[in-house]
Formats: sequence, structure tokens, C-alpha cells
Amino acid sequence: MSDGVKSARGFQFKVKGPRDFYGGLALIALAIIAILASSDLPGQHGFAFGPGTAPRLFAGLLAFIGAVVALGGLLVEGEPLGKFAIKGPTYVLAGILLFAGMIRGVNVDSLHIHIPALGLVISTFAAFMVSIFGSSEFRWVESLLAAAGMTAFCVGLFVYLLQLPFQLWPMF
Amino acid sequence: MSELLANLALGFQIAANPFNIGFCLLGALVGTLVGVLPGIGTVATVAMLLPITFGLPPVGALIMLAGIYYGAQYGGSTTSILVNIPGEATSVITCLDGHQMAREGRAGAALSIAAIGSFFAGCVATVLVAALGGPLTGLALLFGPAEYFALMVLGLIFAVVLAKGSVLKSIAMVVTGLLLSMVGSDLETGAGRMTFDVAELSDGIGFTNVAMGLFGFAEIIRNLEMSQESRDIVKAKISGLMPTRQDLIDSSGAIARGTLLGSILGILPGGGAVVASFAAYTFEKRISKNPERFGRGAIQGVAAPESANNAAAQTSFIPLLTLGIPPNAVMALMVGAMTIHGIVPGPQVMTKQPELFWGMIASMWLGNLMLIIINLPLVGVWVTLLRVPYRLLYPSIIVFCCIGIYSINNSPTDVLIAAIFGLVGYWLVKHDFEPAPLVLAFVLGPLMEENLRRAMLIARGDATVFLTRPISAGLIAISAFLLILAMLPMIRKRRDEVFVE
Repeated sequence: MSDGVKSARGFQFKVKGPRDFYGGLALIALAIIAILASSDLPGQHGFAFGPGTAPRLFAGLLAFIGAVVALGGLLVEGEPLGKFAIKGPTYVLAGILLFAGMIRGVNVDSLHIHIPALGLVISTFAAFMVSIFGSSEFRWVESLLAAAGMTAFCVGLFVYLLQLPFQLWPMF
Repeated sequence: MSELLANLALGFQIAANPFNIGFCLLGALVGTLVGVLPGIGTVATVAMLLPITFGLPPVGALIMLAGIYYGAQYGGSTTSILVNIPGEATSVITCLDGHQMAREGRAGAALSIAAIGSFFAGCVATVLVAALGGPLTGLALLFGPAEYFALMVLGLIFAVVLAKGSVLKSIAMVVTGLLLSMVGSDLETGAGRMTFDVAELSDGIGFTNVAMGLFGFAEIIRNLEMSQESRDIVKAKISGLMPTRQDLIDSSGAIARGTLLGSILGILPGGGAVVASFAAYTFEKRISKNPERFGRGAIQGVAAPESANNAAAQTSFIPLLTLGIPPNAVMALMVGAMTIHGIVPGPQVMTKQPELFWGMIASMWLGNLMLIIINLPLVGVWVTLLRVPYRLLYPSIIVFCCIGIYSINNSPTDVLIAAIFGLVGYWLVKHDFEPAPLVLAFVLGPLMEENLRRAMLIARGDATVFLTRPISAGLIAISAFLLILAMLPMIRKRRDEVFVE
């Protein structure tokens, strides 16, 4: 992201505290989404709050605070933007999403995603193996063993000990 | 007084039931086991282990959850003493002197003083909860919607004041939390609010998903960033678990003061345990004859915060059990667990289900006793667990969390929501936003809105009702005072110093 914002007259404004500036902007964006999403709800009638009153009230407040935070970031010297890691979050997220998709299966026709319900054993193993790639020190044998061990532990705990109704294997 | 004894006797009768002792022991054991893992705090531990209590009878389930809570807390201190990674905010302080003691080869003394301090604090706090439970339940009768609303405002302001970093940004997090809590069906009309026509959101965003995302997944993503070399496990064999006579003499004052401070701060809504340990540590350092010892392995620096956070952990049950208001995220999870078992937390628990109320109080004491019994001999096991490299630990935590979240509602969408909050949490940390006030606001949100709406309706739309009713006006005045205090630059500087330490 750029640190400078060019104004119409060609001045070079420097965002002094980018961390706060973009943080504040994100809050404003969230508030706008909330206001849009709750715009269809009926508001106050008589003395009673409607369903839409409180969301709009707080979204308005959030937008105001966001503006103050962003303005502070613009004018007051502050921290630079932190560096976001890509690799770790990507693999961790991929592992979690894989688990969510595989445990019961998904069918999203519009995106041509069809995953059958694969059950607890395969989902757990796969989620483990994907998320472990997020680490910088990956070793195959050790990882496979740990994945198998953790899968066995989870099956033992959740299915046999706690008797939770899980589907263990894929059903065809 | 005799009534109190009779009640406690009833409680111990329930808690001493072999099954309940078993649940308490099991809870304390698994709580410690998970709490010891670096990078998993109390909230994440309780959230992770919530599903395993679903199949139990209500009393057993709550006793086990209380055990998990104390276990997680104690596990956290074990980690901070042995490894230089605090498992959670409450044990950050313990790290300072605890880890130094461990490096000097006095890990055993540090661990046992932590356990003894916690146990002492637990005993005092148990009596306090039992003694204050009755009168405060009476107080609840004086509370109308306006007072409830004002009290929750006070709780949120506390959370803002106590969070580190900018006050304004903490308030932003509170408002975000309130806004998120409004997603789902409206309480009164049932209209779907901000659901974007997603069927899974019509019941609202589950609290466990938010907590797991912000405190579990986000923490893992963040830990992955740090070089794992910085983990500094005490290699030396831990010998001499028992503290010396001198250690006990040195720390007895600190334990007593920490307990007192923790008990008071724990009752206040807004994240008592964290601030209790900070406050106790700073206080000890200030009154100490040789403050330069602090940070270099002073035993008081372990004893005071450990006693304080345990006392606070326990007294934080008071607002939950008497007023039905969860003062922190763990208590919010307790509300979830109670609701699943058909118990509505609040003043009526004590009158309608005395066996549950007093059984839980008695089991708090038993839980503390168990921690001291199981933890000292098992310390070797925890050390082994700490040696498991993080690269194997974190995928295990992830899959365990995934299964845990999924099992609550059998809903893959919940797992997805937690993943999203994991990313959000990572972003928040990168922009210096504290997730703790958000979570508390998220929990209190529905209760707050309900009471706000009711109060406004009763007052016929007159917003001054919060200032004209005396109790509510008092609470609002305290909130305003605290907020102004926190905004004052001088105090802010002091506050930052406390957190930097």
C-alpha cells in the first residue's frame, strides 16, 4: 500500500500513522456494510425500538470512531504497517477450510465445487497434513506419523469416548 | 452464618459424590493438559473442551468445566515458568520472574509457590463467593432493565480501560463486538438482521466460533510468524519441588495481598483475572524493600500474580451466578454451557437449583485442591509435553479445534466462521486492536440490547431514565469517570508503563 495520498492540487500528503489510518478506514467500511445490511429493517415506532434501531445506532457510532482513528493516523506520527505473513495463514486456513468442506461434503453448483462427505478420519488427516505445510521446518515422515497419531487420538476421544455422532468413513 | 455453613455442607455433599469428584479431577487434568500447550490461553482451552462436557448431567458438566478453567489457568503458569512463552494474558506477568527463577534452577520452587498461592487464593475466594452469593442475589432484585444496562456499560468500560493500547481503538472494538452480536434474528420481532440471506446466520454468529477464531486460530497464525528458536525451555532437571522455609516466609505476604487484590478485581465485570495479576505484581514491586529484585527471579513476583489471578478467576463467578452477567469471555462460555443444559444463569439459580449453585462452589475448592495434588507430581509430564516441537503441535491444535467447533452443532459453516475470525484476529493484532473487548461486547451484546430496549420502553422513550434512577446513574457516573481517567495523558502514560513491564 502506498504511504502518500495525492490531492487534487498535487500536494503530497504523507499518512503519518498508516497502521491507525488503514485500521480506521476498515472500521468505517465495516460500519457502512452494517448500515447497508440493516437498511431494510424497520426502525423506531412510538417509544419502542425497532429491529433496525440498535444496529444503525451502533454502526453510526462505529463509523464516527473509525473516522477519528483514521484522522488520528493521518495527522499523528505512528507505527508503520505491520508485515503480513502469507505462507503460514494460507496453509492454516486451507487446512481449516478443507476440514469444513470434507467432513460433510459441499455442493456449490455455481462454482462447480462438489466434494462428497468424506467422514472424520480422512478430513482430520487431510486438514493436519495441509496445515502442517505452514511451518518453515517441514519433515515428511514425522508429519505423516503425527497426522496418523492425531487422527487416531481424535477418533478415539470424540467417537469412542465421548460418543459424539460422527461419520467416520466416506459413504458411497 | 449457620445458613452459610449449611449451604456449604450441602455443596460439599454434592461435590463429594464420587462421580462429581471424578469429573472435577478429569476437568482439572485435561484443562492443565491443554492449558500447558504454548500459545493456547484459557478461553481457547475452555472453548476447545466445551463439547466434551455435553453428554454429562448438568451438575457434573459445570463442575468439570470449572475444573477445566482452573486447570487451564494453572497450566498457563506452568508454561510461563518453564518456557518463555506465556500461554495467555494472565500468565504474562508470571513469565517475568517465574522464568528467571527457572533459569536459576529454582523451577521447582516457582511451580510449587504458584500452586500454593493459587490454592490459598482459591480457598479464600471460595468462602467469598459463598458469603457474597446470597446478599448479591438480593441486590439483583433492585435491578431493573436500566440498571442492568448501566452495569454492562460499566463492564465494557472496564474492559476498555484495562485493555492495553489506545482507549479509542478499544472502544471501537467494543462497538464492533456489539454490532456483530446483532447479526441474526431480532429478539422481539424475529426479523433477520444483517444476515445477508445466509440461512446459517439467522441464529446469529456462535460465540464459540468467534472465540476460537480470535483466540485460537489467530494466535496460531501469529505464532507461526515468530521464529521458534526463541522458545527457551528449561533444560535442567527439575529438582527440589518443595519450596524452602525461607521461600514460604518471603512469599506469604505477597500471597495474602495478591489474594485480596484479585478477589476484589475479579468481582468487577470486564476481564478481572488479567488485570488482577498485573495489579498485584505492580503493587508488590512498589511496596518491596528491594524492587530491583523484580524481573530477576523474585519469588514474590510469582506468588502475588498467581494468587491474584486465581482469586479473580474464582470471584468472577459472582456476577455470573448472582446477576446473570458474564464478566469475561470464559464466563461467557460458561453461559453457553449452562444454556445447553437448560440452566439460565442469574439470581434464580441459587433459589431454584441450590444443589447446582453450592455444588459448584464446593467443587471450586476441590478443584484447587486437586490442582495442587496432581500438578506437582505431574510436572515431569508437562515438561515432556512442552518439548513437543511447535511444528507438530499447531496442526494438532488446529484439527482439534475444527472437530470441537464442528461437534457443537454438527455444522461445517461454524468451522468456516471460526476460520474467518481467525483471519480477522490476525488483522486486528497487526493493527494494534485488542480482541478482548470485542469478545466481551459480543457476549454482552444481546443482553445489553434487550435491557436497553426494555428500559426505553418502560420510560416511554425517555433516554434520561439511565441518569434519573439512582443505581443506574451511579454506575454510569463511575463509567464516565473511568473513561475520562483513562483518557488523561498522564495516567495513560503510567498505564502503558505497567503493560510494558
